[in-house]
Amino acid sequence: MALASTGESEAVADDAPLYEKVRHRLTTLVLERSLSDASPLPTEPRLMEMFGVSRGTLRRAIDEMVRDGLLSAEQGRGTFVNQEERVRRVVWERLRDAARPDSRFDLDLHDFVPDFNGGEEATKRVVALTEWKSAGTIFCAPDNSVERLRLAAIRAGKKILVPTYGLRRGFVHLDGNKIDEADAKHAATLDGMEKYGRRLGPGDLRNVGAIDLLVTGATAVTSDGRHIGGGQRYLALEWMMMLQLGIVHSNVPVVAVVHECQVVDEMVEAQADCLLSHIATNARMIDVWSPATDSHSNPAKKLRRVR
Amino acid sequence: MTITTTDDYRERIWAELAKVARPDSRFHWDFSSFICDFEGSEKCADRVLELDAFKNRGDRQVFITPDNCLEDLRYKMIKAGVPFVMTTYGIIRGFYRLDPAKIPASDHRYAATLDGFDRYAEHLPLATLKCSRPFALLVTGGSAVSSNGVRFGKGHGYFDFEWAVLSELGLTDQFSVVADVVHDCQFVNEVMPAERHDVAVDWVVTPTRAMHIDQSNRQRGRVYWEMVPGTEFEHLGIVAELREILGLKPL
Repeated sequence: MALASTGESEAVADDAPLYEKVRHRLTTLVLERSLSDASPLPTEPRLMEMFGVSRGTLRRAIDEMVRDGLLSAEQGRGTFVNQEERVRRVVWERLRDAARPDSRFDLDLHDFVPDFNGGEEATKRVVALTEWKSAGTIFCAPDNSVERLRLAAIRAGKKILVPTYGLRRGFVHLDGNKIDEADAKHAATLDGMEKYGRRLGPGDLRNVGAIDLLVTGATAVTSDGRHIGGGQRYLALEWMMMLQLGIVHSNVPVVAVVHECQVVDEMVEAQADCLLSHIATNARMIDVWSPATDSHSNPAKKLRRVR
Repeated sequence: MTITTTDDYRERIWAELAKVARPDSRFHWDFSSFICDFEGSEKCADRVLELDAFKNRGDRQVFITPDNCLEDLRYKMIKAGVPFVMTTYGIIRGFYRLDPAKIPASDHRYAATLDGFDRYAEHLPLATLKCSRPFALLVTGGSAVSSNGVRFGKGHGYFDFEWAVLSELGLTDQFSVVADVVHDCQFVNEVMPAERHDVAVDWVVTPTRAMHIDQSNRQRGRVYWEMVPGTEFEHLGIVAELREILGLKPL
């Protein structure tokens, strides 16, 4: 889906300070830009004229936007849009109708990766993959959109490795063969998994053995396989840890489960470290590369080239 | 004499609680964000199910808060086929009713978690809730509770607000019993002053005992509207719904 223009829904009160109003208008302007537009923002005098404000007010607004990550100021070069953050904002806005609330964070999408309407169909597409069927051990992100896949893996007697939310208490390792059907759904939730699995610190991870497949949600993905997380880059961190420990190979298949509205076609230089092999949505399956046949046998290398 | 403030108690209790607490799936050990589960909460659940208020509830309803220490109680209620009313975390999406008749046996444990609850529970607009039977028993967790049944220490006041809303709808009365499920280390054997919006509890239920506290003088619950603006309750959907039902202007 192309990143069409979208208004920022967050309203600004009439009695808000002037810089807040400028920040709001400038945010709308940034979100409406084409993603391929990598040029800096208009110059300060031009923006001052556009908004009819003083330099001080404009700078205050820009400072706020730099602080919350939408803009980055580069000395001597100008002020640029942080594309990754821009994609997040646009996708969060689109997700309002499709996202399912979290049991704690409700629809505060800054704090979690949501399940979405049609998640059932996306799950079916993943379960049909050869890579899924042949996998013995699967890394499953603690994202709500892959709760059903955690359940499917447990029921299929697979082993799964799940990071605790925010990686705060390490990983949980669950063995589907040891979980009764009556407990399977409970074990697949973040609330229940620790009651059935073993908690592992980074030091114990090696004992898990080889990971055959990674499944994850995302804030957004690009159709060429880049994963854009919520901003904390947990997946990148987990990927690095597992790579260093030798329990994943750089060409391990990585499947993202997202809503169609989270897929963007534009090139985004996201700092993803593992390239997605498949993107399963409510509407389709996108095969980005195949671990079995792709001539780029080391997609991580391919990715480094574009970074 | 040293004066012990509720903050001092909270610090002390949280230190003790950390030894027996079970972390939350999202908030880990951050006790200011959730009411934790603890070792022995299963025994608390059994004790709650033994209370007369539960056993003799007749056709009256049961309310349970979305606190982690009540997960096992929710599970046992579901298994026993007893419907109950619950709010979502932070009352963000209001009140829901869970009807165990709609849940397959394999999903009982799942439905008892906050993650699974949503899949089976049915949203209750206040206008619908208002037409239901009053509550025989309301069960909540808490940070700490005093010997006169005053809950203190967390500060969000969700349960007090839920009680106030249910009372405004005419769903609580002198027969409604409030039980507070806590670990023994959360019980402070001292009389604490209650603020007017605090709901003093009739029962403190811990893994080792159930203590009855006489609340026959409890005032009828109500929402203190002047206290709502500026709090996290101000923008809740149920606040707008309740004001409409009561014929009040929007806040």
